[in-house]
Amino acid sequence: MNFRKIFFHGLVLALVATFPASPANAEVEKDVGVEGVDSFFEQEEVFDPLESMNRVFFVVNDKLYFWVLKPVSKVYGAVLPQDVRLGLGNFFVNVAAPVRVVNNLLQGKVGDAGTDLQRFLINSTLGFAGFGDPAKESFGIQAKPEDLGQTLGVWGVGEGAYLFLPLLGPLTVRDAFGFVGDRALHPATYILTEFPEEAAYSGTDKVNRISLHPGLYEEMKRNSLDPYISIRQAFLEYRRNKVLDRDVRNNTFREEQ
Amino acid sequence: MKDLLTKNLMTKFSSAMLLLAVCTLVFVSPALALPTPTDEIKPKLNAIISILLDPAMKGEEKKIERRARIMAYVNAGFDFREMSQRVIGKEWRELTPEKQDHFQKLFTKLLENAYIGKFESYSGQEIQFLGERIKDDRAIVTTQIENNGQFIPIDYVMIKKDVKWMVYDINIEGVSLVRNYMEQFKAILRRDKFDGLVKLLEDKNSTFE
Repeated sequence: MNFRKIFFHGLVLALVATFPASPANAEVEKDVGVEGVDSFFEQEEVFDPLESMNRVFFVVNDKLYFWVLKPVSKVYGAVLPQDVRLGLGNFFVNVAAPVRVVNNLLQGKVGDAGTDLQRFLINSTLGFAGFGDPAKESFGIQAKPEDLGQTLGVWGVGEGAYLFLPLLGPLTVRDAFGFVGDRALHPATYILTEFPEEAAYSGTDKVNRISLHPGLYEEMKRNSLDPYISIRQAFLEYRRNKVLDRDVRNNTFREEQ
Repeated sequence: MKDLLTKNLMTKFSSAMLLLAVCTLVFVSPALALPTPTDEIKPKLNAIISILLDPAMKGEEKKIERRARIMAYVNAGFDFREMSQRVIGKEWRELTPEKQDHFQKLFTKLLENAYIGKFESYSGQEIQFLGERIKDDRAIVTTQIENNGQFIPIDYVMIKKDVKWMVYDINIEGVSLVRNYMEQFKAILRRDKFDGLVKLLEDKNSTFE
């Protein structure tokens, strides 16, 4: 716990300065498509003033992936059958239910909060402490994932600078604040109070995820000329859609009659 | 008598006009109902799927033939010229036609290497066509594909060229493929100029061989 506290206090202090700067103020050359106005390119610009620091951490994470996470998850995946790993994945998602319920409420989505509460109750009981997902499989109830980073975005807080941090990977300053807040809502914070236990918990979650989606990072890296920018762009687009709750299917043309 | 003849002729004339009008309606209107964006992309995706599922087309030794047949459908439905223009941005117009063609060839090859290879792990999941939206000469066709119980949204962004709808971008989970390359190339163009980008693309493509 102490290590984490120090780490985040440092992080917050270091980044508070960049927080008020919004991407709209950034001096980035505006890209108009080839034919002028192009509805597909009307996106916000990228604000990455800490790019050189981020790139260093990007290399750190890359090494961490190839030297530690990949070999560990390979062995892990070979030892545990996929069913067990999927079950464990369900367990991690289920435990985090309070984060989703509270953030849905904070965004005024009372119905979605109720849905996630319902899922938590069904899966914790009928789903053997969350290892199964009968809420989805038998009742067709889908999770409504929300986190504090998204809530802050809904409240109008600008996303701030883009960050790439060791272990955490891509996020924005707003997400970093959200992450700290969400930890306070996460049951593991209260049950696993010692740092090694908590680290083991987060580590297992991460390794489990990689074992379920092997090669995702490597594929992305292989397909791009600049993996740092590729991941930054994909992350920001994905995240902005989530904050806006933009239905990727129905809102691509915003002025559709 | 003369009147009667005129009248008769007039009737014949109007019948002929009516017949012509009916014929026009019957034979011309199907031709006026041009293919929708979904009509354009769906058969091509289905054809690609049947190549991937064809037992006679499986295996490493069939790779070159399989790729060539897939790329024939891809080329018919995807506008790589439009994509190339977009990833380069404003600088495109300053390039000589030879440089434009060369870039288009390299970029098409990169997409082929990166994504057709990915298709090859395809194992029969159904592509569900959810709908389409059209605005002027742009359209988006929304689809989803199921993978391990999760639905992955894949949308095809299309542009109308003459009478034909062509794909110029793919959005996976709302993330644009062309925009992703555009952002990468922007930084490279600034730093290494067009020739540097071409060199990097050539190097990248050679890593897939």
